[in-house]
Amino acid sequence: MTETLERLDLDRATDPVIERVWRTIVWDDPVNLMTYVTYVFQSYFGYPREEAERLMLLVHHEGRAVVASGNREAMERHVQAMHGYGLQASVSKADP
Amino acid sequence: MIVAGRTGSDGVRLVLEAEEAMLLSELADQVDSVLLLGAEDDPALGRLLPNAYPDDADAAREFERYTRGSLVDGKRQAAQSVRDATAVGEGERLVEIELDQVQAWGWLTFLTDLRLILAERVGLGEEGTPEQDEQRDDYLRAAYEWAGFVQGSMLEVLDPTES
Repeated sequence: MTETLERLDLDRATDPVIERVWRTIVWDDPVNLMTYVTYVFQSYFGYPREEAERLMLLVHHEGRAVVASGNREAMERHVQAMHGYGLQASVSKADP
Repeated sequence: MIVAGRTGSDGVRLVLEAEEAMLLSELADQVDSVLLLGAEDDPALGRLLPNAYPDDADAAREFERYTRGSLVDGKRQAAQSVRDATAVGEGERLVEIELDQVQAWGWLTFLTDLRLILAERVGLGEEGTPEQDEQRDDYLRAAYEWAGFVQGSMLEVLDPTES
């Protein structure tokens, strides 16, 4: 029941700005190999190698990177997957 | 140890010395134990199951409530499959392991979890620890480096676009 309601709400959110207010953030962790982080970004998100490496370097140098944005439910799925792979990740609401 | 591609298919082929296989098996068993028996306040568990909402305690609790079980199950299964694959038969000097792409993913995530736990354990014993603990830290550090080497070697062989 709840799921149906949520779906309806999402359908109504046609404004792309509203749909993309949630973000998946991956945080730097000195433990994880850079090649592994790139591998996860390529394999899980399907990013091309260059984009996966760009994001990995952003995590490495800036301490964090937004790797996906969208609705909250999707971002929580991504964060759960990242935790499954051993990456430090969190869900965050974008600044208005 | 040899890490190589598999002829004619994806995945990876590993050849371990019996000693290496036994070490990996033991470490996999320990990772499984941390996941099964780890105290709530064990910082190593915090590394394996990070906070998804650092700024929202309610959302963090809710997220943990509905993801923790399956995350722990997945990590335990990965550790158990590594432990089982590295079992050494009597008199065996080498252990040969063939992993398809999906199984290799399990190994990669296990090696990550293992390194997260080892890093946390080594970080704990730094201040004025007795000699015995220093020796333990040396052992853990060596295991940490070695697990990174195994993972790095696997990543050189595996193709992320095939999984």
